[in-house]
Amino acid sequence: MMTIQKMGLLLCLIALVQADSYTLGHGLQVDNMLNVGGYFATEFEFKDKDKIFTLDDVAVMAYGDINPMFSYMAEFEAIGFYQKNFNDGVESSKRQFHAERVYGDVWLSDAYNIRFGKQITPIGYWNKEPINVLRDMTSNPLYSSLLFPKFLTGIDINGYIPAIEGMKYHLFGQKNPDLDDEYINIRNTHFFGLSLEKEISNDYSCGGSIGDYIPLASQRTRFLQANAKYDDSKWQMLSEVLLAKSEYDAGDSDYTLSGYVQGMVRYTPQYAFLGRYEHFNDHHRGSEDNIGIVGFSYRPIYPVSFKGEYQWHSRNDENRALFSFSVLF
Amino acid sequence: MKPLLFLMGLPIVLFGSQFSVIVSKKAPFSTLSTQQVREIYLLKRHFVGDVKIIPINLVGQDESRSVFESAVLGMDRNRLNDYWVKQHFQGVTPPLTQPSFESIKAFVQNVEGSMGYLPSGMVDSTVKVVYEF
Repeated sequence: MMTIQKMGLLLCLIALVQADSYTLGHGLQVDNMLNVGGYFATEFEFKDKDKIFTLDDVAVMAYGDINPMFSYMAEFEAIGFYQKNFNDGVESSKRQFHAERVYGDVWLSDAYNIRFGKQITPIGYWNKEPINVLRDMTSNPLYSSLLFPKFLTGIDINGYIPAIEGMKYHLFGQKNPDLDDEYINIRNTHFFGLSLEKEISNDYSCGGSIGDYIPLASQRTRFLQANAKYDDSKWQMLSEVLLAKSEYDAGDSDYTLSGYVQGMVRYTPQYAFLGRYEHFNDHHRGSEDNIGIVGFSYRPIYPVSFKGEYQWHSRNDENRALFSFSVLF
Repeated sequence: MKPLLFLMGLPIVLFGSQFSVIVSKKAPFSTLSTQQVREIYLLKRHFVGDVKIIPINLVGQDESRSVFESAVLGMDRNRLNDYWVKQHFQGVTPPLTQPSFESIKAFVQNVEGSMGYLPSGMVDSTVKVVYEF
């Protein structure tokens, strides 16, 4: 993996030398075949007596068009790059970079394109923009990390449905191990799904997904998901919900229900105030939580994000405050 | 946002279209909807029929560009900038730019599949108008 780090640094150096101009958050464009960028996020967590600082994500990415029909994306990331607990003084670091996304796109028409390789699973809103700097809250909803594989190593056939204006589909599948399973939330060798998203207007959109996956544990899960969003220049309302049914080798089955609704008001383009309510209930594991969060977001410019939030959990020992600083470059 | 869009659109209602979206004379289509132009310039769609489209924008902060972004894309500069930052993470870069309307017109005349916008007074028989705003 050291080779990947060196490769990423080399790409950045080439880009810095050759790029004509650079705007933060837009990457360095060397030419059509090579754009280079990256991001990092730091996080402070205050929970009970613990005060934890984490340099959480450090990532480099490169993408470009090989020709008008083919483009690529490669992203390598180190999660938990450095962590220190100020309560007990314990430090840790994981400085190995792993393949987060490595895929190619074949552009055939607006109705039919193929993405192959390791990619973000095209479900809902949160999962498609998972990095701290693009989110408006520091924490992820449980919905986004526990209920379906966040990544897919396989094929996604996607495009616009010709007969329906603004309706996009993704038909995706995986029938093999993950390309790099270091940061995989649900390891599997079987994952198939269909996702639809409808852009109703500039401000309104909605969508839904169905899927089926078999984790490496003795379990098979099928899920039904729905999402809706309103977003104008001042207000944003975002909601996603997922119902999953899992069957276990022992012959029993059970349901998991999770969903969240998040509201945001942009006081100015830089300052925003947010609130989120989330419900999570995994009947099989007896794991239930109701989470209320209030937070703020300050972006001096869009690719630079300062955020803070406080979480109230129905499990009282989970209450915490989170602060983060992140940059996309 | 909506009052601003209304004000942007008012001159069109009173005095006719100010700008025209143009393509090559050889392009096998003659009209596009607002939604189609918007999706092409936001790089959500890449084709019209079988033709791969290369949208061209005006460089910098020119007022005409702001009119185009508000009237056709339905976004102000802040929101559009946020959009392109998010697209950078998805591996998508904004459309190519040209420094002037003259160079946009020359580009459209010479590069098959390219699309640009001009003041309607600059349109002549060397290009085809597919949308006006």
